[in-house]
Amino acid sequence: MLKVENLVTEYGAVRALDGVSFTAAEGKITTVIGANGAGKSTLLRTISGLERAKSGQISWADKSLIGKAPESIVRSGIAHVPEGHAVISQLTVAENIEMGSLFRLRNFRSDVKLAIEEVYELFPRLAERSKQLAGTLSGGERQMLAISRALVSRPKLLLLDEPSLGLAPLVVEQIIQTVNDLCRKSGLTVLLVEQNANSALAVADYGVLLSLGKVVANLPAAELKADASLRAAYLGY
Amino acid sequence: MEQFLSAVFAGTASGSIYALVALGLVLVWRGAGVVNFAQMGQAMFSTYVASTMIMNGYSYWVAFFAALAVGTVLGVAVDLLVMRPLSGRRSSAMLASPAMRGTVPVIASLGILGILQAAAGMIWVAEERGFPAPVSTLGLSIGGTVMPFTAFDLFVIGIVLVTLIITTIFFQKTGMGLAMRASALNAEVARLSGIRTSSVRTLSWALSGAASSLAGLLVTPSANLSPNTLDLILIIGFTACVIGGLDSLPGGVLGGFILGLVISFVNVYSSPSDIFLAILAILLIVLLVRPQGILGSKEVRRV
Repeated sequence: MLKVENLVTEYGAVRALDGVSFTAAEGKITTVIGANGAGKSTLLRTISGLERAKSGQISWADKSLIGKAPESIVRSGIAHVPEGHAVISQLTVAENIEMGSLFRLRNFRSDVKLAIEEVYELFPRLAERSKQLAGTLSGGERQMLAISRALVSRPKLLLLDEPSLGLAPLVVEQIIQTVNDLCRKSGLTVLLVEQNANSALAVADYGVLLSLGKVVANLPAAELKADASLRAAYLGY
Repeated sequence: MEQFLSAVFAGTASGSIYALVALGLVLVWRGAGVVNFAQMGQAMFSTYVASTMIMNGYSYWVAFFAALAVGTVLGVAVDLLVMRPLSGRRSSAMLASPAMRGTVPVIASLGILGILQAAAGMIWVAEERGFPAPVSTLGLSIGGTVMPFTAFDLFVIGIVLVTLIITTIFFQKTGMGLAMRASALNAEVARLSGIRTSSVRTLSWALSGAASSLAGLLVTPSANLSPNTLDLILIIGFTACVIGGLDSLPGGVLGGFILGLVISFVNVYSSPSDIFLAILAILLIVLLVRPQGILGSKEVRRV
């Protein structure tokens, strides 16, 4: 279980997270929704260690993550796919994927091979383009690559930041569905940040609604989806 | 014809040394974002160690590898003792602005250069001394005819080619090389992928130290050794990087070979006094036509 308590993160004088508390259940999809600037990305960046928490607690499987560097947080089974199809465009598709498993090479060499084969099965289009530079891929393929890079680290918890950003609806559907399948089949815990609340709530088990750095609702996804007043006040539809 | 060939060989040999210097500079620039002005100071120091060992009766090759080791250790020391503390959190207030973050390590590298040169002057007395070459530096003669190149030219070209091939294989085919490329291209994604970017940075300093001490060993037989002799090589090596593209390893190497050949041709067909004019002319042309360097990538500057 991911447990976040009273988390405060600041950028200089700007308080991006203002006492955020929630839990994400194991093997479930929890989606964090909210308007632009609500602190969604900051939340993920603080969990994965890219930003330093000012105060508060984050724990995964009862171990605190506070003060740990991103490269050690990956090692505790948490993979973060940041916003904007975060791949390295000057490296090939295969190298981007390999990069995500380098730290496991020494101890789990045979499993690394298996993990790489699995993501190629999951996204056959990446297998066809494995020798191409990541910069030559389409937006959707780049997002698949970013997710693959995260998956080969064999995460227990996947932090996904706006996978739908700038993608065609059909591709968004496909990517969200893939994440859903991964969660249901292999028990992956997913924390999904989305601006596109509808498609996120459609697959999620729980929804956390953020506004100006605070949690304003934390409900089962279906209830959050059904609550017209919350939607109108915070999501604007 | 003979004059032409001799210019080609001499140029390729000195060009390969500039390529090594450029390689060292690009490694640290890409890996740590620092233009390391102390680089040839480090090389000078390790060459002095080798020279002292040879004077005390050790064989050339023992001294050669000892110097490479000293160069590597110096590179690691510069990172761990100076650069890492500078980027640490305690000094983050001083480095709050991007301009300072870029400048402070460079100024620090100038300080290190000063310390190394002063230390070498104190330890070894600041007088020029020769440094042996492992093979003859006279024109090679095969069957009575004197060739337009020396055995030492061939030695230098050979050893640098082997180094470049090993470096290429390391970067393209090994996991560690991939980790280094990834860290240089996008540190955030690299860290999220589990790559320990601070260790990778130290490795860049180590490799750069080894490459530049190799350059020092190869250049001193034709230049004599004093605490300042390698300054000029650093300037040429840096120019080579800018010509080839500061963020590209093949670019730096290419720039090194271009400068080596140009200098050699100017030397043979014009006069040695025109060398700097030629270097500046090339630099100017490249900066006007292709500011990012021949193989450099266009940097996106964000305001």
